[in-house]
Amino acid sequence: MIKEAFGKGVAILEGLGTVFKHVFEKPVTVQFPEEFKPFAERFKGRHELKRYENGLEKCIGCALCAAACPADAIWVEAEENTDEERYSPGERYAKTYEINMLRCIFCGYCEDACPTEAIVLEKHYELSFTDRRDAIYTKEMLLVPPPEGQEDTPRKVEPGSFDRSIPVMEDPK
Amino acid sequence: MQPQKTEQFTVPIGPQHPALKEPSSFLISVDGEVVTNAIVRLGYAHRGIEKATESRTYVQNLYLLERICGICSHIHGTAFAMGVERLAGVEVPPRAQAIRLIIAELERIHSHMLWLGVGAHQGGFDALFMFSWRDRETVMDLLESISGNRVNYSANVLGGVKFDLTAAHIGDILKALDYLEERTHHYLKVVTTDASFLQRTRGIGTMTRHQAEVLGAIGPTARASGVLRDVRIEAPYGAYVDHPVTTITDDRGDLEARFAVRIKELFESYRLIREVLDDLPPGDIKTRVKRKIPEGEAAFRVEAPRGELFYFIKSDGTDIPSRVKVRTPTICNMTSVVKLAVGHQLADVPMILAGIDPCFSCNDRMVRVNRNNGSDGWTWEQLRQHGIEYYKQRSQDYDPLVVG
Ligand code: SF4
Ligand code: SF4
Repeated sequence: MIKEAFGKGVAILEGLGTVFKHVFEKPVTVQFPEEFKPFAERFKGRHELKRYENGLEKCIGCALCAAACPADAIWVEAEENTDEERYSPGERYAKTYEINMLRCIFCGYCEDACPTEAIVLEKHYELSFTDRRDAIYTKEMLLVPPPEGQEDTPRKVEPGSFDRSIPVMEDPK
Repeated sequence: MQPQKTEQFTVPIGPQHPALKEPSSFLISVDGEVVTNAIVRLGYAHRGIEKATESRTYVQNLYLLERICGICSHIHGTAFAMGVERLAGVEVPPRAQAIRLIIAELERIHSHMLWLGVGAHQGGFDALFMFSWRDRETVMDLLESISGNRVNYSANVLGGVKFDLTAAHIGDILKALDYLEERTHHYLKVVTTDASFLQRTRGIGTMTRHQAEVLGAIGPTARASGVLRDVRIEAPYGAYVDHPVTTITDDRGDLEARFAVRIKELFESYRLIREVLDDLPPGDIKTRVKRKIPEGEAAFRVEAPRGELFYFIKSDGTDIPSRVKVRTPTICNMTSVVKLAVGHQLADVPMILAGIDPCFSCNDRMVRVNRNNGSDGWTWEQLRQHGIEYYKQRSQDYDPLVVG
């Protein structure tokens, strides 16, 4: 009886010992809004529509991403480019490009499907909305600003200078 | 005052959060503190996923089915992908098989650690809960670095896997396994020696071998009662053919045994991952599968962290399956909870429930019997309407004080 009670006492002390030991360890918690955990390289966050170095949009409005999307989250409407009003190289550009972030499951299929590497899943993940409508990201919100020193699209260009819509690219590894 | 007659009283547990943060309702009849009868009512998280698969393509379904369970998501994708691959008659490259196995075992590790935390929490041992969840983060970070996602990794594609493992990943995995192994030894010691915790687990919820067989228990719950039931051994699939698993069983059948079995399975997973990483086959990680799947039927069984997971897929030759049937492990183990709770203290019920590692949203099914009246099933819209009315009616019916 006494031995049993003693055994229990020892067990409790042992348990407390474990807890006490951890008091001196560095906490593993991250103070979230102030601190951030580093992202994994393959992390898939909110999309961005990329541009070429010359500032033209990479997206050519082919809607392959929309066809590949398992969640039907993407809506693309294409329009003809003209040399007066050029958005992207080649014939067409995306007039409307919308992603519904409530539908999107961040699988990255759009990224894989895109022939020009225009849509890329980046690292933003703080997506919260107060209205369902706010969850639809339009082209203006997704498109990155043109690189330093380059003018925005649409722009007037020399006729015949951008007739190839898909750039020469390395094979993906 | 007259002495009171012994009277049955029914305690409703749930439908909100009976043990885990998922809805399910238990009506527990008690005599004093002792449980005399238990009734389970499922169906609070029915999402109509099986029906929804019939209007989506195979690729879309892969993602949809992965969302049946947030914890064992990869294994759902694997079962579906392998079933479809069997129908399509494609051979998946060995490297893809190996990666599937590694991710499945990593998932088992994080699932078992999650469960260890939940089980400890139900037993009032919150320090163990916090520590095991802290260590589970190691696995979650690994999965994030491999796949980009912490949950729902979408590692599978039809015909292979989506990501390759780089040398850096392999190094990280091996390092993490060493750390986890050391911690797991500690946990095994704690759950088998800590006196106050043993009072909550030893001899509680004992399921004999016979009961386990009769009740059709599966997975670690059955293995803790000495029943050797593991699909990885009975019908090895994928890379398990070349890398056999040793099953862990325990004859005691109580909660302590369930803790011990699951923790020992962690060691087995560590060993298996190391073994596979040791000779990871080189080569491609996917083959092409045509959009349209040839006509036919396929059934596929895999071992999910909670037990056997069964998929039946019927194709009619288009790119949309005509039927997908899923049987998740929890539903097989649920009957054991109802049976085992009888005779125990009311306070033990959450522990016993947590002991089978339940996942309620995997659980909920709807069956409609067609009585030769010429009807050919329901449309999506009809199912929706039925759901709305069913729950309306149910909330009126539900008066726990009347039951029992
Ligand atoms: S990440 Fe997936 S779900 Fe989201 S838009 Fe791209 S393809 Fe669609
Ligand atoms: S993002 Fe890529 S795939 Fe989608 S429309 Fe633009 S170019 Fe086509």
